[in-house]
Amino acid sequence: MAAKKVKAALGYAMAAAAFIVVIVTFVGNDALSRIFARATGITVSPRYSGGEVIKTIDHGTYKSLIHRPVFDGLFSDRAGGFIQVNWYGHPPWPRKIEEAVDYDSDGTVDFTVTLDTQNLTADLSMQNPSVTGIEQTYRLDRGFAARIALHKNSVGKSSK
Amino acid sequence: MPDRSSTMQHAATMTNLRAAVTSLPMMLMTFVMLSGGKLVRDPVHLFALVATFCFLNTLFFLMVKTGRTDRWRAILFTVFAVAFVISFISHYVEARGSMALSESEILECRTPFCHIVIPMTIIPLALTRTIIFPGTMTGVYAAIASMFIIWIGASLSLGRGFCAWGCFLGGWDDGFSRIMKRPIIKNIGKKWHYLSFAVLLVVALTSAAMLSPTYCEWLCPYKAVTEYVQVTSLTRLVQMIIFLTLFAGLVIVLPIFTKRRVQCGLFCPFGAFQSFTNKISPFEVRVDKDLCVNCRKCITVCPTFSMSEESLDKGNARMTCIKCGKCIDNCPKRALSFHIRGTSPGDDRTAQRLLFLYPAFLFLSTMAGGNIQNAVVRIIGLFTTGSLLTH
Repeated sequence: MAAKKVKAALGYAMAAAAFIVVIVTFVGNDALSRIFARATGITVSPRYSGGEVIKTIDHGTYKSLIHRPVFDGLFSDRAGGFIQVNWYGHPPWPRKIEEAVDYDSDGTVDFTVTLDTQNLTADLSMQNPSVTGIEQTYRLDRGFAARIALHKNSVGKSSK
Repeated sequence: MPDRSSTMQHAATMTNLRAAVTSLPMMLMTFVMLSGGKLVRDPVHLFALVATFCFLNTLFFLMVKTGRTDRWRAILFTVFAVAFVISFISHYVEARGSMALSESEILECRTPFCHIVIPMTIIPLALTRTIIFPGTMTGVYAAIASMFIIWIGASLSLGRGFCAWGCFLGGWDDGFSRIMKRPIIKNIGKKWHYLSFAVLLVVALTSAAMLSPTYCEWLCPYKAVTEYVQVTSLTRLVQMIIFLTLFAGLVIVLPIFTKRRVQCGLFCPFGAFQSFTNKISPFEVRVDKDLCVNCRKCITVCPTFSMSEESLDKGNARMTCIKCGKCIDNCPKRALSFHIRGTSPGDDRTAQRLLFLYPAFLFLSTMAGGNIQNAVVRIIGLFTTGSLLTH
């Protein structure tokens, strides 16, 4: 009998708490979202965000942001990956922008990407065998981006 | 001695008074939620606020007064879905000039996060601590963390009740399922009732394997009325055709013919996933076996196939129950009711129903309120300026 009463009291308490949960969910949404993001350390997958920026190069009228190579898989790294290069600045953009990237920081250039800012085509000069080609180019709100395809098996230099 | 008509009049006045007093807390809460505690000076926005406030609270008052839940909930739920689409599409046409999402916006992680993605993110989240979605974590409209908080709040308070009291898309098939007076397709095989769990399993595993939300990319019918990736290739064209076909089939045609929420009940992976949260919610739909005459009306009307012979025998709805209240409204013997777990079946049913309605309706009105206000402002703009866009 007493156990039944306790169960019923708990049930009613939970039901009343549900109303409070709804209020807190909406009133405290901004604060709780920030706490949730900070406490869990969850980030957007690098396959979407491009991964952390490892180098920023100032070209005067525009800046180049070199992201880290992304091979991230579910359990371990994948064989295929990419490296993202972003260019941010203001128009007028030069007809062609060029970036020589040494993503493994060994002092030698791994690839050079040249982007035509008018028709969004790109040329790639590959110095590192793990660089396999251009995945895609993008026009952004304040600039451009390119994803360069990489292959982990032939990393060679990048594994140093 | 008072005559019969004056006694009835007195009883009706008392019923209205009781319903009005019971609605007061909801009026206060909806006002706070709708206004956000800010003073609205612009007459159009003020009109939208007052109209939305009156609309919401009239429905709640009627829910309390008439004792019917689903009848009034469905009106708000359907209006919410339509208002959401008007508001959402107009907002994005203003922000980026198109309903379509460009590849660049995906690259810059500016895609609004939707709750349907959540079940696809769980496995990669557990293993990589990253979200496989091109959105923003905090600080923007429909940010990932913000939607997770809403989902957690909904799960704790309502369980799968989210699908009847919170989802901004479910109102579409709910609305279409009410068009016909009688269903044309009556019998849907039992094995189909598990389809959404199969879809959940497939999309959860494929999303983990491919590290991208496969349901959103290939199967979501609601892309037809929200946003879709710009058609720039054959693959994107095929995806668009799939979205439109599924929307037409699962959200319009089948709900009309079956009078059921086919998309939500048989296909939506989030719905299947959310069913598990019914286990932690304090509320459930209970069958009083002493009152039940086994007329099977509840089985016939349940929009998500959550009532069955077995569930009637067990005395409660299946775990897929969305707590819409349709079975309760339709039961001729009042054998079904909203019930608080742990309490005795004989406990005050009115009080238990109200304890469910307060959080459920507040959730729905908060989710819907902003969208309805925004849609009202845009519709006024459509009549006065000829455009839904405000700038």
